[in-house]
Amino acid sequence: MDTAIRVEGLVKRYGSFTAVDQVSFTVNRGEIFGILGPNGAGKTTILEIIEGLQAPTEGRVTVLDLDISRHRNEVKARIGVQLQSSAYFDYLSLQEILSLLGTFYPKRIPPQTLLEQVGLLDKAGSYVKHLSGGQVQRFTVAASLINDPELIILDEPTTGLDPQARRNIWALIREIHQRGVTVVLTTHYMEEAEDLCDRLAIMDRGCLLAVDTPRNLISRLKAAYTVKLALDHPLTEGQMASLNGTVEFVQELDGNAYLLRLKGGPSSLGKVLDEMVRSDINLERLEIAPVTLEDVFLELTGNELQD
Amino acid sequence: MLAFTFANLKMMARNRQATFWALFFPLLLVVVFGLLDIKGVGSPNLVLVDQADTDASKLLRDELAAIEFLGLEDAQISESAARGRVPDGDLDYLVIIPPGFVDLSPRDTTIVPIPVTFLYNTRDAQRNQLVDGVVRNLVAKVQPANLSAEQALPVVSIEILVPEVSYFDSVLMGLMALGIMTSAIISIPVRISTYRNQSILKRLLVTPLPIWKYFASEITAHLVLAMVQAAIILSVGVFVFGAKIHGNPAWLFVIVPLGSLVFLNIGFILSAWARTPAAASGMGNAVVLPMMFFAGTFFSTDTFPWIFPDLAEGLPLTPMLSALRQVAIDGAPLWETWPQLAILAGWAAGTAVVAAKVFRFS
Repeated sequence: MDTAIRVEGLVKRYGSFTAVDQVSFTVNRGEIFGILGPNGAGKTTILEIIEGLQAPTEGRVTVLDLDISRHRNEVKARIGVQLQSSAYFDYLSLQEILSLLGTFYPKRIPPQTLLEQVGLLDKAGSYVKHLSGGQVQRFTVAASLINDPELIILDEPTTGLDPQARRNIWALIREIHQRGVTVVLTTHYMEEAEDLCDRLAIMDRGCLLAVDTPRNLISRLKAAYTVKLALDHPLTEGQMASLNGTVEFVQELDGNAYLLRLKGGPSSLGKVLDEMVRSDINLERLEIAPVTLEDVFLELTGNELQD
Repeated sequence: MLAFTFANLKMMARNRQATFWALFFPLLLVVVFGLLDIKGVGSPNLVLVDQADTDASKLLRDELAAIEFLGLEDAQISESAARGRVPDGDLDYLVIIPPGFVDLSPRDTTIVPIPVTFLYNTRDAQRNQLVDGVVRNLVAKVQPANLSAEQALPVVSIEILVPEVSYFDSVLMGLMALGIMTSAIISIPVRISTYRNQSILKRLLVTPLPIWKYFASEITAHLVLAMVQAAIILSVGVFVFGAKIHGNPAWLFVIVPLGSLVFLNIGFILSAWARTPAAASGMGNAVVLPMMFFAGTFFSTDTFPWIFPDLAEGLPLTPMLSALRQVAIDGAPLWETWPQLAILAGWAAGTAVVAAKVFRFS
């Protein structure tokens, strides 16, 4: 069987608020699966249901071929979890925390081995509070591996880290993945989703909007390029209307800047420039870029991902 | 679970600051009271058994009642019941007025008159001398001055030997209970709210560890801490300041964990409402300080006005203190404290049920 997680018709309501609305997807064994979405999209709620921390209002979740509502403890024993912003005991060393966590599981990896894997062997005797942000994240990833899991679930593993530390975590995740561990992670970083994940689920406000590989998601967009304009004046209504005739999508950015998504690829660029000359639009700067996941997200939700 | 208990103890031992302060406050008070050497500030009580029911006997009752310091009890109890209370240390003074107190009719001189009996325990020799004088004076005063020597009744004083109790012995038990109560009621909500805010509780929930094992390890570690705390406070009290433990000290270490269990449960209940560690510490104090005051940690609340003495009966610290003092001061064996232990066990069960109902993980 090559399905690691199967989520079917999942709904989670808190009173009248629907946090997760009719979500279905599967995660294959051996892949890195990303759930991408802004804060409040319902990513953490879905993970907590998979981890057995919350019960779904409706729907069914199977993890490693086990129904989570009936085999919660067996699932817990076979998966590894890194929670968003979870700290660890203040007065235990890294090695002691890992040893303690290990006693909760039937199967465990020696703390030394794990610390070596994440490059923290020299910190084995330190407290968590003496680690840097990147080291803490590496440690929490190590802690999620204590039971030699078949599947690990990482909730925003790189949030709040500087670019270098983020890249270190990516390398670590790839390494774990190469050993055959299925990885599920949430993120709101486009770059992370695009570079790291084999497949992506895009979520917004509790709804699943698309599931596919990053490449397929991008090629779904008809346009291959976006154009960013900086102008000396804001567009008038008339100028906006004439531009709208030649491009697929215009979005206002900050300070007289606009994002255009072209209709029908690079050849339409000339038409847009002609239109700008005709309607007296004075360019200060022009950038042309290939479409990214950001544009996919924009297309699917009408909103930008980053807050 | 054992591993978790050890880990908890290790964390407590390493969190030196918190552990130090948990112990420091009660220990500081031990030193203060030990140095002050306050003696018997507790007010005495007195019972009058009136077997004469004459004008003179009523006058004597009024006169004794007028001296507020003596603490004359209103209750009408039998002579034997009253006599039984003196050796227990429960009653300080007992005056028994015999039948025929100031009988002015001619008396059969062949019958030896029964004297007024004055019983007291040996707890406070200085005070006894004073009260003895007062009673003798009043007995003489209420008998008409023209009575013949045969007709006037004498006072016979009977001293009943009870173990000497210093105020320090009594307050030491209070301070021991206070230390245990404070560390349980404050430490548990502070830890739980910290763990909750840092998602440590959630982190435990995603492991296959049955969560009751976490609670059991937390409780076991705190019970060990309570025993160590009690041992330190007791040792300082006894070896540095010469307190006397009249009963078997081992019994104290049976009462301590039982009481501690109740306070730990109260801590778990408070932790349900405490959102931050600072709020938890404030809440803990709001429970600890009134309880310390009203349950009679430092002085008896019997003489408090209004409903406060009854209120004290409704606090879990009261039976704990009472059991500790019965062993330490009255030298009672453990089984004689069963009513208090039963109340404590009831409290432990009740608070455990409430704690299980209100506890929140996130």
